[in-house]
Amino acid sequence: MNSTSPPSAQQLIYRLRDIVGDDGLLFNREELLVYECDGYTVEKKVPDVVVFPTSTEQVVAVVRLCNELNVPFIPRGAGTSLAGGTLPIGGGVMITLTKMKHILEVNVRDRYAVVEPGLVNLHLTNHLKETGYHYAPDPSSQGACTIGGNVATNSGGPHTLKYGVTVNHVLGVEAVLPDGSVVQFGGPCEDGPGFDLTGLFVGSEGTFGICTKVWVRLTRNPESYRTLLGVFETVTAATQAISAIIGAGIVPAALEMMDQGIIGALEAAFHFGFPLDAGAVLLIEVDGLEVAVEDEAVRIEAICLQNGAREVRRARNAKERLLLWKCRKQAFGAIGRLSPSYCTQDGVVPRTKLPEILEFITDCSRRHDLQIVNVFHAGDGNIHPILLFDERNEDQVRRVLLASDEILTKCLDLGGSVTGEHGIGVEKISFMDKLFAPEDLAVMKSIRDVFNPNNRCSPGKMLPTAGGCGTEDHPHKSHPGRRAAM
Amino acid sequence: MTNSHSVFQPDTQDDLVKFVTENATNSRCRLLPVGGATACTKMIGGDLTEVRLEHLNRVIDFPARDMTITVEAGIRIADLNRILASENQRLPIDIPQPEQATLGGVIATNWSGARRFGCGTMRDYVIGISAIDASGQRFSAGGRVVKNVAGYDLCKLLVGSRGTLAIISQVTLKLRPMLETSALVALTFDSLSQVDAVLNRLLTSATRPMVLDVLSRMGTLARPNEKTGKSAHPQILIVGFEGALWETNWQIETLLAECQPFEPRAAESFLGAAADSWWETLRDFSIHSNSYVTFQASLPPSRMCDFLRLTTDAGIAVQAHAGNGIAIGHLPERVVTADQSVAAIEPLADLVRSCGGHLSVLRAPSGWPSLDVAADSWAGSLAWTQRLKRQLDPHDLLNPIC
Repeated sequence: MNSTSPPSAQQLIYRLRDIVGDDGLLFNREELLVYECDGYTVEKKVPDVVVFPTSTEQVVAVVRLCNELNVPFIPRGAGTSLAGGTLPIGGGVMITLTKMKHILEVNVRDRYAVVEPGLVNLHLTNHLKETGYHYAPDPSSQGACTIGGNVATNSGGPHTLKYGVTVNHVLGVEAVLPDGSVVQFGGPCEDGPGFDLTGLFVGSEGTFGICTKVWVRLTRNPESYRTLLGVFETVTAATQAISAIIGAGIVPAALEMMDQGIIGALEAAFHFGFPLDAGAVLLIEVDGLEVAVEDEAVRIEAICLQNGAREVRRARNAKERLLLWKCRKQAFGAIGRLSPSYCTQDGVVPRTKLPEILEFITDCSRRHDLQIVNVFHAGDGNIHPILLFDERNEDQVRRVLLASDEILTKCLDLGGSVTGEHGIGVEKISFMDKLFAPEDLAVMKSIRDVFNPNNRCSPGKMLPTAGGCGTEDHPHKSHPGRRAAM
Repeated sequence: MTNSHSVFQPDTQDDLVKFVTENATNSRCRLLPVGGATACTKMIGGDLTEVRLEHLNRVIDFPARDMTITVEAGIRIADLNRILASENQRLPIDIPQPEQATLGGVIATNWSGARRFGCGTMRDYVIGISAIDASGQRFSAGGRVVKNVAGYDLCKLLVGSRGTLAIISQVTLKLRPMLETSALVALTFDSLSQVDAVLNRLLTSATRPMVLDVLSRMGTLARPNEKTGKSAHPQILIVGFEGALWETNWQIETLLAECQPFEPRAAESFLGAAADSWWETLRDFSIHSNSYVTFQASLPPSRMCDFLRLTTDAGIAVQAHAGNGIAIGHLPERVVTADQSVAAIEPLADLVRSCGGHLSVLRAPSGWPSLDVAADSWAGSLAWTQRLKRQLDPHDLLNPIC
């Protein structure tokens, strides 16, 4: 714990127990190990205590106690984030919101729902099934990730190509700020007075406070879908088809690419019938009115064939469509067949630069002697190279970090970004001063200081200038693999 | 109050940085960023320098295949639209006075129009931004790719900030393809109860409207294709569609069939160029009035018809983006004093407050007291807005009007 006059662990635990009860906290080392990392497993740190509040009032009390005892604290949802956003730098109290998972209101007439942050993303859409509406952001982890976590990282997903990312579907948030006060930004009424603080809060990775309630927009379900699988001999041909589809003025609901490496793992896991000899496949979905989608599908088929597709298959029914999406969304799960550990990157390039970045990744894989497979949101130019390794092998960890850095640097060179939907977390914090000028970061820090002046809430995240609690514990300094790579 | 009113018109972004830096260091004159001067008409006294951005109108980059464009903020909306149209692309935000309005001004005021129901607002399209803060420091956020969560989303912070935090100098937009055609269906009803019932029905319509507007108490305002009617104050529900020709035709037919049971007095559809005059009416409603006061209210869409009953009774002409709960209204021309305005707005304000909404004045004579109202639930947003303003502009140099 990083504190000028550190409280005893017992004192902290006793007082937290008073707030959340016996079944609302964990402090045994073995139990805490579950919370040492999120989906980014390269860096780990065990929190001192994990609490599971069940109400905004409990979150307030925990935050106030942390302030009183000068203990860092960090919010966490399901821990599915992929950039170390929930790594408890400096230890302290991890505030896990998974018990705050209720749907508080569904208002179809006004097209919004109010939910608690620990609600699993997919549970909301399942709950809405009979209404004809759904919650549009659909991260691949939507069966596990929470809406509060989605708010923190401004999550995307396959269908954000047409429907936008989390921030486009959040109308308001209630948050416990780092000083323990409760504030509501936005709400069901649009275009609020003052600044768009909802938009600012979304994607702030827990550095502005802890989200305790979310007003989300509900989206009308499409009437029909056409889901296509374009099979290509090469990645290059597939990327050319992507450019041609978008260039033709068609914006599919989703446009995903999977390369040969991932196709093999998916076929082994799901037995869908993916062509194992294909260089790449495109999973393309158009949705909308029945009178419109067939024409779009036909046009897309033609464009794929003109750009070298070996064949274009269609999902013949809803069951086959769902299986295709299951394959895509559980692709990361299938990676377990290929290696014990993996590191998923999240770069973005302009769509037209996809051939260049994929060629670079192939070269990177060869140079660092690492297997890298690709499954990504091609329509957005949002790549997800998955670097396979064994975390017990320090040299592999070092090479993974070096290769990751090179790939993300190349994304920047091509005019892109180092994260499209996973966030900065701790993984990409060293890229912030490559992506932004000192003046940009100064303004961001100035804004963070308004909400989080002591940097006690989610320390060491988002900004490389992060000071305050826990910085001497930052993984740049503490992790052997990171040290080697840096 | 003695007014010293000067104008600075930079030719380059560097000129702007230099000017704002010198201002912050020396005279500390209050700066009013101005685009096409089509939105904000509330004026104050005291020393003020207008910073006019029309000369910052260059296209920095238009990689059409990536469907993004980076431009300087002073570009006129009409010019931007023409450039985008050359690549069969568009920014689907309806802006009045496009030959005059600038992109920076539209972003700063977060202006939106009838298509917001289907296409969203500026916050959905600004993916990168550069701006100059009160100290003269130029900063950027976002980028030039359509998906990007690196750093705080200062694009969202600056959209609608009315130039109070920084002067927007350059913007990158995400674009949409042009669609084959568009259409509007105008359904005239005698009562708001009918309109409310139709809006409820449309929640599960087989169609997917892009526009859901209600024109209420249009009075002497321009109304194309005027027909004689029974009610003195008919309510006109406008439903808009976009897409392929057969898709749009199918939606028109389906909508008309769905609405028939609600017995509209008139139902007319306008396809393609035939709808142009209606689109212009929707786009320009906010500027076509001799009223002293024009306001915008926001409330839950389900309360819009309650709101329109009040405005109809008070003789207030309103364009409601009914699907979003946004209403733009002109107080009657007979309302010519601040006290009369307060009295006219009071019943609307009560309703707005009671349902968690807010109301702000877009246009009012100089020197009138603020007529803005907001429900208590907005107190947090407003308090933190002020804190951010103090942090980023401690000397209150930028747009002290707002």
